[in-house]
Amino acid sequence: MKKSSVITTIIVILVLLWTLIPMYWFMKMAFELPVDISAFPPHFYPKRPTITSLLNVLGFSYTTRSGEIFIPSGGVNFVQALVNSFVLATSVTIITMLVVLPLSYTFGRLEFKHKNMLLFAIILSVALPPVSVMIPFYIIFTKVGLAGTLIGLIIVTLTITIPFVTWMLIGFFRNLPQVERLARIDGYSRFGAFVKIVIPMGKIGVVIGAIISFLFAWNEYTFALVMVNGTPAATMPPAISGFLFVVPEPGHLTASIIYSLIPPFIVVYLLQKHITKMNIVEPLEG
Amino acid sequence: MRRHRKIKELTNLQFALVLTIPVVIFLITIIIYPLVYSLWVSFHEITFFGGFNTKFVGLKNYKDIFESQKFWHSLIVSFRFTVESVVLTMLIGLGIALALSRTFPGRKIIRSLVILPWAVSYYGSGMMFKYLWRGGTGLPTALAYIFGFDARINILGERTVIEALAIGNAWNLAPLVAFFLLANIETIPLRLYDMAEIDHMGPFRRFYYVTLPYLRFTLFVFTAICSVFSLKLFDFIFVQTGGGPGMASATLTYQIYKESFTNLNLGYGAAMSFYLLVLILIMTFTLYFVWGRREE
Repeated sequence: MKKSSVITTIIVILVLLWTLIPMYWFMKMAFELPVDISAFPPHFYPKRPTITSLLNVLGFSYTTRSGEIFIPSGGVNFVQALVNSFVLATSVTIITMLVVLPLSYTFGRLEFKHKNMLLFAIILSVALPPVSVMIPFYIIFTKVGLAGTLIGLIIVTLTITIPFVTWMLIGFFRNLPQVERLARIDGYSRFGAFVKIVIPMGKIGVVIGAIISFLFAWNEYTFALVMVNGTPAATMPPAISGFLFVVPEPGHLTASIIYSLIPPFIVVYLLQKHITKMNIVEPLEG
Repeated sequence: MRRHRKIKELTNLQFALVLTIPVVIFLITIIIYPLVYSLWVSFHEITFFGGFNTKFVGLKNYKDIFESQKFWHSLIVSFRFTVESVVLTMLIGLGIALALSRTFPGRKIIRSLVILPWAVSYYGSGMMFKYLWRGGTGLPTALAYIFGFDARINILGERTVIEALAIGNAWNLAPLVAFFLLANIETIPLRLYDMAEIDHMGPFRRFYYVTLPYLRFTLFVFTAICSVFSLKLFDFIFVQTGGGPGMASATLTYQIYKESFTNLNLGYGAAMSFYLLVLILIMTFTLYFVWGRREE
């Protein structure tokens, strides 16, 4: 018994190291001064911990105790990017849910002709690589003037979130108990039963679906890189990578990534128990 | 005055249509139309200079790609990266799930820490691993220095770059796999383990005969999902290595990006993305027929 608990401890420590080392090694740079970041050999921890970078990316300058002044970098407007990302993620989430709820309900709970063929079309679009999705939109948007705008980016992002969330919710709706008939006896119309009974019953699934589309839009890089990079509509991901490619400032890069991770971390922390309730495993059966 | 409304019964198909017609129209405009347009583009040569021009070239783009060495190189890179990613992800995911299924103090906190990489965006983790692996700022260099070597150890060099990328990819994907496996493990009836105890099974036989049968379907599904994700992966690689050094990590997705949006050779890029789509479909169906069909 003793022996097995020692082994468990060792394995758990290994798992923790695997999880935390990459994050730690990167995030420590946010608390270092540029001199210390470029020191060789690299430090294992911040020798002179500071919050310079964390303030700089938000647009504040910072004076260290020794009198050195660090001003925000002019190249990247992180706050504007943060606002853009928030607008993008919110709009994408709302539109996605409006489309996905009826769609996944019909696929999950009703039988009709050609159902499997239509399902296959949805799964096919899940398989499409984002880089390929970009090509037609790039051409269309350059023609109609939507390139470099948030609206354009919202439309492209929907092409990923809608099929993916639909695919997840189909299995979820299918596993709910058959309540429609009872609801109909109580006088609900078919539509009423869907809106007033089924959706509230599937609350967890609906919330998780919404959160997944929010996080996807929040984290989406490829579309934003091609569509809005370098324009006022730039969202956070391409703006952050400006700290890497345009003005190499690892401290600011790390600080802005730390900010960008706050919402996902909170969400995942709150949701970890429910994540596995999504039945993404068997949408195609039956 | 009471009005009696006559409620008409809709058939399933009618109801489905009423509920989904607006949605289907929407889907057609944002998914089917681009797909068809993309196909059309792949048969054309597109030029942006001096206005938007298209010239029908038939299958030329497809033929050129098939004969280009870069394409075959990228195909091999993509394939190597995908296989390594999937094997690592599944093994590590399974390891994490088995570790977390045991009871130990602080289990709740450790669980919520272990899921965190899943929340890290691909571009974020791409940058993390860039600084972790690189010679000047990396952990290997720092460790080597402690042990008395004065060398810059660059894991993102030509020979190990794909393996480094696969490890990073596994870091992102493994927690999700682990959580789904964990949910499965928790449905296994405890009395099966008691019976294994009576039969004096060792830990390995117990895993093989008791635990594994419950996990096989999930393992298959996530092998398929991870393969598709890895073949599609772009931002992680772009941010971390930019396809380099040289062309050492230029996967198919990277090549499509470069042809389409750096060289603005959109017809060529579109044709290449159809090769990639076919590859993804072949891989998924092969997995299904070789493995998945037996698990249902």
